[in-house]
Amino acid sequence: MTVSSQHGGGPDATSARAAAVSVAASPRVASRFRTQTTRRLAFGYLLLAPACLYVVLLVGAPFLFSLYLAMSDANVGDTSASFIGLENFRAAFESDVFLIALRNSIMFTIVAAVLKGFLGTTLAFLLLQPFRGKKFIRGLVVIPFTLPISISVLGWKWMYDSQFSVINWFLSHVGLIGSYGSPDWPVWLGQPRLALLACILVNVWRNFPFSAIVLLAGFTSVPTEILDAARVDGTNFFQRFRNVVVPMIAPILLIGFLFDTVFTLSDLGVVYLLTQGGPANATKILPVLAYQVGIQAGALGRGAAIALFLFPLLLPLMILLLRNLKRREY
Amino acid sequence: MIDERIASTSRSAVSRRGFLKVTGAGVAGSSLLTMLEARQAPAQIKGTTLRILQWSHFIPAYDEWYDKFAKEWGDKNGVKVRVDHIPHLEIPARMAAEFAAGAGHDIIYNGSSILTRLYYKNLVDLTDVSEAAGKKYGGWIPSARSLVDVEGRWYGLPIFYILAPMLYRKDIFDANGLKYPDTWELARVAARTMKPKGHPTGIALAQCNDANLMWRSMYFSFGGTEASPSGDQPTLDSKELREFLKFAKALFDEGMTPEIFSWDDASDNRYLASGIACWIHDAISAYRTTEDTNPPVFKNTVLGLEPQGPDGKRVSVAAPNVWMVWKFSKNQQAAKEFLSYLIDNDLEGMVQSRGYNMPYLNDRYKKPMPVIGTDPKLQILQDFPKIVAFFGYPGPSTTPIQEVVNTFVFPDMITRYCRGMALEDAVKWGVGEYRRIYAKHKQA
Repeated sequence: MTVSSQHGGGPDATSARAAAVSVAASPRVASRFRTQTTRRLAFGYLLLAPACLYVVLLVGAPFLFSLYLAMSDANVGDTSASFIGLENFRAAFESDVFLIALRNSIMFTIVAAVLKGFLGTTLAFLLLQPFRGKKFIRGLVVIPFTLPISISVLGWKWMYDSQFSVINWFLSHVGLIGSYGSPDWPVWLGQPRLALLACILVNVWRNFPFSAIVLLAGFTSVPTEILDAARVDGTNFFQRFRNVVVPMIAPILLIGFLFDTVFTLSDLGVVYLLTQGGPANATKILPVLAYQVGIQAGALGRGAAIALFLFPLLLPLMILLLRNLKRREY
Repeated sequence: MIDERIASTSRSAVSRRGFLKVTGAGVAGSSLLTMLEARQAPAQIKGTTLRILQWSHFIPAYDEWYDKFAKEWGDKNGVKVRVDHIPHLEIPARMAAEFAAGAGHDIIYNGSSILTRLYYKNLVDLTDVSEAAGKKYGGWIPSARSLVDVEGRWYGLPIFYILAPMLYRKDIFDANGLKYPDTWELARVAARTMKPKGHPTGIALAQCNDANLMWRSMYFSFGGTEASPSGDQPTLDSKELREFLKFAKALFDEGMTPEIFSWDDASDNRYLASGIACWIHDAISAYRTTEDTNPPVFKNTVLGLEPQGPDGKRVSVAAPNVWMVWKFSKNQQAAKEFLSYLIDNDLEGMVQSRGYNMPYLNDRYKKPMPVIGTDPKLQILQDFPKIVAFFGYPGPSTTPIQEVVNTFVFPDMITRYCRGMALEDAVKWGVGEYRRIYAKHKQA
């Protein structure tokens, strides 16, 4: 027995009822939109809609698509794929290259963040001081950040060259290392720990101006009266920095840190162009491995699964930082 | 009875559309074959556009020639030709993007990473073009088919490969009474003798293409194999692998420096050109670089045939280069025409690349070959086609082998052993990675 037969009506009766409901409801809807609050609410949602649409289309959809790829046996040469659940994630853990890449990614991000924080702060303080040609120097500082990555990394590749490294020749000339061919001649991209450090240094060199600019913007927003008051109270430079400046610019610091962590963790260019992850995976990081497996070898599903491991790494950090940021707003 | 049923089914299955399709394909196929014979482009391609994705050749003069060659062909046949050059390492990503979009270039180049088996369902069958070329020029060299053949059809057209011979310093060898490196053992003796005198050797042991190519030549010459002839099974785990690894470590310890762990594809060129290396194993780009940058060293640099392994076997792993045509291409006929014309002129390509591009067709090896046949030091390259192999030897260029190559499993296994890992642990790791990758692809 169908619903319509139970009520003894056919399709006509149903549409008549629907019309009646619609007529009955319409004055209520109209009255709801009549109040100023609801009109403002609707207008607010309307203004918010483009941003929501942007997030859904450009962030949500690709994320869901990569999630779909990671749970499928998709390859680059086939438009169809089958659902295989968490198989690709399990396969990733079976490979020790993945575990090495995971470890390297975490180490890369932490060491680079510490170095960029230190160098960025120092540079920001230097740029705060009044000196001649300050604007020009400020312009120069951002050059590493603005140069195309392929060109700047090529320059570093030459500086790290095993035979013609300008760094080594300088160190050799000042007597810190022996001459070319001696056992203490560093092979920057050939010794596992040194190679990872070399990659981190290039990432730091490229991005610490960004940290400095963010910090500089924060420092200049601190009112000088507050700093003067702290100075009158007898605080030294480090006390003022720790107890006055940092709490005041914390939101800027947190956002800068968040951006920098995301950029560093997903940085494919530096490692790929310098070492491709070698020697023997000593510099392999997750984005490079994902590219090699997913695109170069064509196993799109497994590549997506490897790349998605960046997400659980970033998620707790993002939640912590954003929660902290929200708490500071109130 | 059965025949009648088949006949009746066939009769009922032939629709007007089907009939037009079959006859159209037949006419197009036969006209193409006729035109391939006569070397005359069909009128249908006039007014069309042909887009070609090409790598940036190591010899820039070749790119200049190629662009001009393609344009002239286009002008002659009324086809607008556009050639784009990108670094060869970017090609897999570009190919994936074009496939996903279903749009892009008509003809696409593959170098080293030959992705025929990955994309063959979406590539144009070029069997007719390859058969016509084979018939015309005495057939293809034995290894050519393994690159592009899928179930008996050719989904790509091998155009040239890049050889990697021995390049050694005759002056250093003579001055120290060393025998020329015709075997890997003699190469090791030379390296062992010359390293203490400031002239070590080097083969890249990093994550670069050279590391994938050169060490495989040595391993295959030691009698090792990478996959079964069908390409289905990895065959790395062997006595030959262990013998090769022991030899490779000894060669590294006695005759190389840790610099090789940081090398890229051009480092050994510089090593030879700087006058340090007593020998290297590389493409002739090293020879050309030295010619341009260090004439005295160039004068004393000699090329040798692939060294023999312990049982006298010589296998030279070369970097293959292949052309493919997308199925989504709206100009497949022009693409086939152009490729046929290109293969007719591959010897000119060899000249323009200064002897770098080695052809795949047997008749091209009639001595003297252009460039390499006239240079006494390069003449030895004419004897390579019989010993040339590619990744996955003796099997074809499969998708699992492409993953093995792209994730540098083979050189990483050697690196691990050379850096101090126990032999069996290095073998276990390498064999394990091969098996894991092959199993994943089989599952997929």
